[in-house]
Amino acid sequence: MGRFTKPGQYLLLLAYLIFLGFPLLWLISAAFKSSAELNSLRVNLIPTDWHLANFPEALAKQGLVRSGLNSTIVAVTTTILVIVVSIPAAYALARFKGKLRTLGVGWILTSQVFPVILIIIPLFIILKNLNLVDSLLGLILVYTTYTMPFALWMLQGYVAAIPKDLEEAGAMDGASRFKVLREIVFPLLMPGIVATAMFAFVSSWNEFFFALVLIQTPDNYTLPITLKMFVGGEGKVALGPLAAGAVMAAIPSLVFFGFMQRKLTGGLLAGAVKG
Amino acid sequence: MNKRTSQLLALVGVGALALTACTSTGGSTTPEASPGEAVSSAAPPAEKVDLTFQSLSDQPGAIAATEAVVKKWNAENPMVQVKIVPAGWDGVYDKLVTQFAGGAAPDIIHYEAASVIPFALDGYLADMTPYISEDMKSDVNQGIWDSVTVNDQIIAVPTELQSYMVFANTKMLKSAGITVPTGDTLKWDDFRAMAKQATTGGQFGLGWGLKSPTATFMSLGLGNGGVYFDGEGDTAKVVIGDGELKLPNEIMAMNTEDKSLEPSTLTQSGGDVLAGFYAGKYAMTVQGSYQAANIAKDAPEGFEWAVLPALEGTKSAAQSANPQTLSVNIDSKSVEQSAAFVNYFASAENLAALNTADALIPASKAARDLIAEQTGGKDGWTEILASGDHLEAAPFMKVPNYTQWKDTVATPAFQTFLAGQSDADGLSKALTDGWTQINR
Repeated sequence: MGRFTKPGQYLLLLAYLIFLGFPLLWLISAAFKSSAELNSLRVNLIPTDWHLANFPEALAKQGLVRSGLNSTIVAVTTTILVIVVSIPAAYALARFKGKLRTLGVGWILTSQVFPVILIIIPLFIILKNLNLVDSLLGLILVYTTYTMPFALWMLQGYVAAIPKDLEEAGAMDGASRFKVLREIVFPLLMPGIVATAMFAFVSSWNEFFFALVLIQTPDNYTLPITLKMFVGGEGKVALGPLAAGAVMAAIPSLVFFGFMQRKLTGGLLAGAVKG
Repeated sequence: MNKRTSQLLALVGVGALALTACTSTGGSTTPEASPGEAVSSAAPPAEKVDLTFQSLSDQPGAIAATEAVVKKWNAENPMVQVKIVPAGWDGVYDKLVTQFAGGAAPDIIHYEAASVIPFALDGYLADMTPYISEDMKSDVNQGIWDSVTVNDQIIAVPTELQSYMVFANTKMLKSAGITVPTGDTLKWDDFRAMAKQATTGGQFGLGWGLKSPTATFMSLGLGNGGVYFDGEGDTAKVVIGDGELKLPNEIMAMNTEDKSLEPSTLTQSGGDVLAGFYAGKYAMTVQGSYQAANIAKDAPEGFEWAVLPALEGTKSAAQSANPQTLSVNIDSKSVEQSAAFVNYFASAENLAALNTADALIPASKAARDLIAEQTGGKDGWTEILASGDHLEAAPFMKVPNYTQWKDTVATPAFQTFLAGQSDADGLSKALTDGWTQINR
């Protein structure tokens, strides 16, 4: 390895981090700029005058806090439901071969090819008949349903990667099927569960179209709907308050990721079945 | 856990997907109340009526103005209470499609003429003709009424409009020896000559954000007799002649022959161009009239600017009217009361307050006069309000496939033309062939 390889790697890593983080930095910068500064030719990351008024305006104008709470309720509940249903279903899909598995996998893949616009009207009518239009419960059910196929597909891949030998070794030592699942499979599956939970959370946190159509009253709006309301007709955009709102909206998501990423550890299986 | 149980669990996970199964759609019914005489305030109903009003007002001032109107109405009409349901412009078409198909649309619908017409054609909107007061009818240009009339029925009440106006850095114009024009209209040839004269020493005469050029060409093209469509509904045909090609050709000439148009602005949105306008990169810019409010707010201190008179093409100063509108759901249980509220909302006083907040042009002359009086014509209001007299219905608004043609055919074709990658014949062929393909 050459003398410059390691610094070169760090340099590339830094460049990649800047590439990834720059949009977020620019968003934060815009959140602190006045409308006049945002509409000038100056390109500066650090605002000339720190314009804090965007934040109270964002909070007051569109009920951002209430929407944030709604988004949290919907995203967390969806994540829990998806994980609770997906774990046993994914295990069954990965471990047991049969016609039902083929059917299940086929349906999972098929469900991904339907454009949302194709199903929205029948879905709306079904939810209306169930009195679930304009309710967070209805939205949670839709998100759970819509997120489930990919979550299942994702999780069954993680299950399949756990060598069966480990479960058989546990059984040989006298552990019951339930104990094998609890003591061996579940801990090894944790990174997959975390990754799937993150996917389910982000999908429902960011989702716009279902919420737009199914939610009718501002009390039930989620964050993507509220943030979109900063974009007006005739191309008018309240850029400063929108950026401030987006920064605040990103905080819970960042906290969730910060908490979950510690558990996203790979390599637990390395050498697990070597003699 | 045995194999059977595991398979059942798999079925639970997959079975949740079954929720997306299809069912039949609903249909429309006829309104309960029969339209009678023109009403600005309907007779009080026997039982209390609650109306939902889906409002797209987004500016803080406009939201406040809308809330004030509703509050006043509710105080004056205890038996007919209106509740505002705020919604955003983005995605509202899809929302309305679903609401109507699912039988859950609001009673009163705020939208814009071009986009609401397809709902009228599908029979979702009440005929407002019998409910509109004679005062209102005579106070709004026939051209604007035409933009909300479908099969001889007025399907919406127009409230707010915009026009395309020339905004000028008056200091730069004066430095170039140009007298800032006044009067009713500004002839295109004079405008082009001004732009050429103002182009000096690295500064351009004009910056024009034409990233999405179709709406601009459709609107300003009317002044040259460019109508783009012949006929209405499904039988409409694209027609491209001298009138339609005049404006694109003129803009290209300003770019390539006069060199008076800052070329990079052609790829920017209207709002993006303002930063260069403030920085003195170009002396004039063409923008939606509502930008006057943003310029008044965001321009640097000491920036001297004016709104020039409405642009006049070879035929007239006409521009297309695509007003924001209020419509009534035909399936509303209280069409008459909803229409009465719409009439109330469209009073001169209410429209003046709303349009002042949104920096848009009221549909009615009485409201325009009120704004002129209240603002004293400051910040370009005189010219902007005067441009309201030239707004008229354009054929594209009555063409159901217009939006698809605009997005998939016209915008790319105009962009290719403005980039110099096709000539007028190529543009004409792309526009007509694209229309044929869409309607195949």
